[in-house]
This record gives sequence, structure tokens and C-alpha cells, in this order.
Amino acid sequence: MHEMGLMEDALELVAEDAEKHAFQSVDKISLIVGDLSNVLPDALRFAFDAFRESGQIPILSQQASLEIIPEKGLAKCAVCGITYEPNAFIATCPECGMPFGVLLAGETFKIESYEGS
Amino acid sequence: MKITLEKNVMENNDRAAAFNRQLFNKTKTLVINIMSSPGAGKTTILERTVAELSKDYHIGVIEGDIATERDADRIRKKGVEAVQIATEGECHLDPRMVAKVLPELDLDAIDILFIENVGNLVCPSEFDLGQNHRVVVLSTPEGNDKIPKYPLMFHVTELALINKVDLLPHVSFDLDKAREDLRAIQPNSRLMPISAKSGEGFETWIDWIRANLEACQKH
Repeated sequence: MHEMGLMEDALELVAEDAEKHAFQSVDKISLIVGDLSNVLPDALRFAFDAFRESGQIPILSQQASLEIIPEKGLAKCAVCGITYEPNAFIATCPECGMPFGVLLAGETFKIESYEGS
Repeated sequence: MKITLEKNVMENNDRAAAFNRQLFNKTKTLVINIMSSPGAGKTTILERTVAELSKDYHIGVIEGDIATERDADRIRKKGVEAVQIATEGECHLDPRMVAKVLPELDLDAIDILFIENVGNLVCPSEFDLGQNHRVVVLSTPEGNDKIPKYPLMFHVTELALINKVDLLPHVSFDLDKAREDLRAIQPNSRLMPISAKSGEGFETWIDWIRANLEACQKH
């Protein structure tokens, strides 16, 4: 379970930026989480709640909410050029069967935005 | 007020990994990050590997575990410098943990540094440590299914060591199927059957390391 550490990183990045804007509190954080990022949304929510309740990130208000925006996995076959949603055999094209797919999306794990005042 | 940040959460990790990588480039140290599930044989492979390579090169090892110094002790018994990172609950090594212990190693003298990651086929694949090469170990008793079940690990590594091939007559592991599955996930990865117990396949593995060391020190 590495979501605890990742959530801490995310909250610190938000807190740092919010301080630059002279915010007193952060009320909402929106994260983009890709299907292939190896980050579990449920574990992120658990970690977020734990940090909010602990008061470890003082700028995070007690009413703060977490939005998780999912990003679907997407790959492009280098042989036949189609794009596809990869299954476990990431590199393999479902059309031509060749293993030369390149990932276009799904690995993202980033802070899209936050709200505060 | 809404602020659009568009910031990668792994940014701090990536920055720390780049810092490590720069340092390894400067000292011309070949760094290999070895990952697997618990019990696949990473430490046993390393014991045999360092015994072989330390005849010709200065070797260093960083051992990652959730707790205990046991693995570092096993490596030290082979007369090789080893540093233990006890992650205290974290399921992977991150580049900041690695950076913290680097001052304990004489990188100028070390030709090859092995980093043995925490036993786990999921989380370690996410974290760049600043290594030159990522290697995954899969042991034959774990079964063929591990490859499609943990595709990201096999997608981000360039070499899959299939360990415990001495057990092939007793377990249902199909090397050809493993090769086919690996190719479907990462066509640039190579599969290498070895046995840390019998030494089978070790010549190929040691040659792979030597060739990469040569390439790394040419720069």
C-alpha cells in the first residue's frame, strides 16, 4: 500500500501551492488517476481521510473532499495504427496481434486542481 | 477559488531519481534495480552473483526490506559492502530512501551497485530509483500466471530472470508460455532462465551484467 505516501506527496504539493496563493484553507482536491498507474482509488480515499482527520496538513480543512477523475488506459499499435484499450497484455494489439503497442494514456497520476480560499 | 495545478504527484520522486542517476553517471557506477515477489530468490541470486563478480569488480549492494538487517548480513558474509534500508512498512523503495544511504557507500570505487527492492510485484514498478536497468525475478513455483497478473512490472523491466529452473520437472511452469506472455507485454524484454541453487544460466546472467558495465563505463 503505497497510496499513503503518494497522498502525502500530493497534499504537500497542494499545500505548498496554496500557501503561495495566500489561501487559509483547501476545501477540495481533484486528482487524475490512470487505470495503469498502479494507484488504487479506494486506498487514496482512505489515505485522504486519514490525513484530513489527523490535521497533519493544517491547510486542509476538516470538510475537504477528494475528487478522483479516472483516466482510461489507451495504447496505439505501431504496426496497424489503431488505438485500443490495453488488457493485461499491454503491448499486444487486439486487431493485428503484434506486440508493439505504445501507451498513450492510463499511467497518469496527477493533481488536476484544488479549491480553497 | 479553483486553482488548476496539473502537477504530477510523482514529481518529487522523479526529481530525486534524476539526482541519483546523475551521481551514478558521474561515478560510472552500473546500477541494477532487482524486483520480485517475496521468496522468488533475489537475495540468493545476489549471493551467487556477487561471489562471482567480486573477483573482478568492486560491488555494492543496497537491500530493501520492510524490517530486519538479515539480507544485508547475508551479502556481507560474501565480503561485499551492503547497506540495509528498512522501509518500516513501505512496500517499495523510493529514490529518496536510496539517496539517503548513498553516502554510506564508496560510489567512486564501486563498479556495480545492486539494489534489491522490497519483495512485491506491484508498488516497486512505480518508482524510478535512478538505476540504469530494471530486472524482475520470477521463480518457477510461482506459476506462469504472475506475468499477465502483474503486467506493469513486466512492462517496465528489460530482463525477466526465471529463477529456480532446477525445479522445472516438479512444478507446472511453462517457459515457452512465459516467453510468449512476456513478449505480449514488453517485446523489448528478455527472458533468462536461471537457478541460483544449481548455477544453471548464471554464465548468461553474468555476461549480461558485464556487457552492461562495459557500455556504462564507456560514456
